[in-house]
Amino acid sequence: MKKEIVNFKINGRPYEVIVSPNMTLYDLLRDLHLTGTKRSCGVGECGSCTVLVDGNPTLACSTLAIAVRDKEILTIEGLSRGAQLHLLQQAFVDGGAIQCGFCTPGMIMMAKALLDENPNPTREEVKEGLGGNLCRCTGYVKIIDAVMVSAEKMRKGDK
Amino acid sequence: MKPFEYFEPTTVREATELLSTYGGKAGILAGGIDLIPRMRKGEIEAEYVVNLQKIPNLEQIAAHEDSGITFGAMARLRSIELSKTIQKKYPILFEAVHQITSVQTKHMGTVVGNVCVGTPASDVATSLFALGARLKISGVKGERTEPIEKFYVDYRLTSLKRGEMVTEVALPDPPAGTGTAFLNLLRTHADIAKISVAAAIVMQYGICREARIAIGAAAPTVFRAVKAEALLTGQKITAEVINKASETASGETRPITDLRSTAEYRREMAKVLVRRVLEKALERAR
Repeated sequence: MKKEIVNFKINGRPYEVIVSPNMTLYDLLRDLHLTGTKRSCGVGECGSCTVLVDGNPTLACSTLAIAVRDKEILTIEGLSRGAQLHLLQQAFVDGGAIQCGFCTPGMIMMAKALLDENPNPTREEVKEGLGGNLCRCTGYVKIIDAVMVSAEKMRKGDK
Repeated sequence: MKPFEYFEPTTVREATELLSTYGGKAGILAGGIDLIPRMRKGEIEAEYVVNLQKIPNLEQIAAHEDSGITFGAMARLRSIELSKTIQKKYPILFEAVHQITSVQTKHMGTVVGNVCVGTPASDVATSLFALGARLKISGVKGERTEPIEKFYVDYRLTSLKRGEMVTEVALPDPPAGTGTAFLNLLRTHADIAKISVAAAIVMQYGICREARIAIGAAAPTVFRAVKAEALLTGQKITAEVINKASETASGETRPITDLRSTAEYRREMAKVLVRRVLEKALERAR
């Protein structure tokens, strides 16, 4: 199996990495110490490993790293600016939408993709939009609240 | 995942040549949401992976003036879901895709990939049977087209020969007087269906000219309940005709008992769903 030196663009930064074809995007991110992305089920069913690839919500555990070279990859680390949390992250914190926190990065990345596509979702649309993200702790209500609050703040132009 | 050789062909020709060379040892990577998890689980051992994502023009959904619609091997489930043409002209395809709960799955996954997995529990395949889908298949020796109902040979076994891949799905233009419906039963919204039914009927002057009844997850493959269909063709569709057809359709199932349902329940629910789907299709045909 041939290893290759591959260029990646992650959170706006270039990375040059030696990659084997059988590395998933999840493996790559973890190797780069971008440990915000979590692997729960590892088989593409829970959404915990959701990142954005060219703006599209993508399951990192089910994506080959080598297949996403030259694409814009955004992870949870790319949402915050240093210590300044993204509006979505802050809404989750303020709204008590985080318990164990394991589903949270994937949930927030999916919420970002949802709001990028539909800045004014109904509650039902938020539920549909987060259908691929499982949470075992919270019962989802506060998560949906946090996304609705974020959507309103974003429409008002808050950062 | 076990190590493998990885290829990024830039043409269908190149891809089919690779598939021909490596045969059963090659896995096709389209969206990856079936292939990669199964490779990670060890269910699939692909020594060669052929990535279709760099082949141009495979993502298109193209509406053809009065001659239906085609979509390519890389057309994502999400694109199908968002297509206004499909929502309007092929609502049961939209419904089958829309009820897939994971948005990530729909962004990554492809319709063709879903169809090629070959499970009878594919709601998408069931609705494509009812819509009269035809598949364009490319191989090193050339192209062929096949109606989807010939595509499934057995459980998870398609008619694809060595070196072949599906490059396009074509749906005919629904004739005037068409009514379609899709229904399924699941344990939870995110689960795989216990059973699914899709039907398309064409009504003209109060008589059923054509009927397609497709049933999923109730036999080794998705199938058309042809005996039930024959009871509808040329008839006025009364409640009695519908009841007879649903009973007959139920008799055509060959269901199994598994973790999602029992054979008895699937057989019984085939009758109920076929009845409801025919009633709904008839209403929509008006």
